[in-house]
Amino acid sequence: MAWGAIISWYLFLAGVSAGAYLTATYVGKKFPFAQTIRKTGYFLAPPLLAVGTLLLVFDAEAGLKHPLRFIYLLKNFPTSMMTDGTYIISIFLILNTYQGVMEYLGKSVNRWITRLGVIFAIGTAAYTGLLIGVVKSIPLWNTSILPVLFIVSALSTGIAATVLVSTFFNRQACYNLLTVKKIHVSLIGIELLLIFIMLYITGSANEVAYQSVMSLLVGEYSSLFWIGLIVVGLVIPFLIEGIEIYQHGLATKPKYHEISATSSNPSFVPTLITESTVLIGGFILRYLVLAAAMTITLF
Amino acid sequence: MARYGMLIDTKKCVECFGCRVACQMQNGLPPEEAFIHFYEKETGTFPNVNIQILPVQCQHCENPPCMKNCPTGATYKNKDGIVLVDENKCIGCKYCVVSCPYQARVPNHKTGVVEKCRFCVEEVEKGKAPICVATCVGNARIFGDLDDPNSEISREIIKRKAIPLRADLGTKPKIYYVR
Ligand code: SF4
Ligand code: SF4
Repeated sequence: MAWGAIISWYLFLAGVSAGAYLTATYVGKKFPFAQTIRKTGYFLAPPLLAVGTLLLVFDAEAGLKHPLRFIYLLKNFPTSMMTDGTYIISIFLILNTYQGVMEYLGKSVNRWITRLGVIFAIGTAAYTGLLIGVVKSIPLWNTSILPVLFIVSALSTGIAATVLVSTFFNRQACYNLLTVKKIHVSLIGIELLLIFIMLYITGSANEVAYQSVMSLLVGEYSSLFWIGLIVVGLVIPFLIEGIEIYQHGLATKPKYHEISATSSNPSFVPTLITESTVLIGGFILRYLVLAAAMTITLF
Repeated sequence: MARYGMLIDTKKCVECFGCRVACQMQNGLPPEEAFIHFYEKETGTFPNVNIQILPVQCQHCENPPCMKNCPTGATYKNKDGIVLVDENKCIGCKYCVVSCPYQARVPNHKTGVVEKCRFCVEEVEKGKAPICVATCVGNARIFGDLDDPNSEISREIIKRKAIPLRADLGTKPKIYYVR
């Protein structure tokens, strides 16, 4: 395929950035005391998106040699999804950088700006799926489930990145946020479901689509698909986080957002494993979707 | 203003690759890059099998997905309906590569610009045929104005019942195949 690992990183990082921003906004609103998570999310969003966008620039070799040409990226609006995405990502980058800087300075941000940020974060997450979803010549991509799947994965990996980094700064930052964990576990479950719905529906579309799906399920990419994406990226974090929530339930804490004084760091290692496996799975998902793409036949 | 198209009679193609080599010379392409690709397909059932040879290049779609998706506007159609790439605008994002159903797009490894068959526009403007047509030993290719009902190509398309590849995709390709 013309698009390989670099574009996978781009799609992945843009998604994580959007998800981190959304996580920070949600946590900031619901749990004002959970400062580490909010800060981490807002601090992560701009650099992740910037790095992702730089990767896209590196993959566009002709532009790299003539950087002024990148201004043309804004030209084919609204016809080209890539142009539309360039606008969305640029605006989101401005908004999340502003948000991050204000967070750093300890100043409050006008809530309308944050709301606009939320809209453009969702837009960015959706765009990463739409960019390839509108490509009619590749049946594996050309389905309306794909952008939804990418949005769900963006949220899930965004939560993962935010929680993971937060944990390093403040070990107690996360395990008391049961709500976030519950959302996370549901997202992972939904993602698992969407992947199989997508593969079944796409696989029945035509011969090439079927071959693409088969290359994932039983062919060339099957080990990466089953072990990397399904087991490591989804089932393991789903189980660990699920058990954790279940145990929290048993512990019958009066209010889950109260920091428990008794537990020293009960969920540090599980958190570490859950969130890193989710991130690994998120990247593998993008990579596989690009790698297994096949163009329709001419006969 | 014309609406240029091509007819390729696959029954006359002897797979000598003459057109591909001539095209590579015309466009200064290295041996490993080509604008014309050959596909083979077995038709019929044993023992009456037939190998069909299909030379494929940019189909100069009237409704080109590569142009629709090109973010920079580098891909455009000229007044005669020939789809071209402005090498000074192309950033090499390869969105056109994934968008083209005919896999006709070829990234230039030196410049990063994505290229493809240009219907030898400089020849056509001189009133000549593209090099692949001029060079074909089997006379398998005809080039001309599809809008002119009296042109050779228009008449032969009807006579030989030539049809485009995957017309169902709605890109309105302008290369007609006799198969
Ligand atoms: S064949 Fe491909 S490159 Fe040529 S005009 Fe159609 S979509 Fe574009
Ligand atoms: S590679 Fe060049 S011609 Fe192709 S879509 Fe990108 S900018 Fe347009």
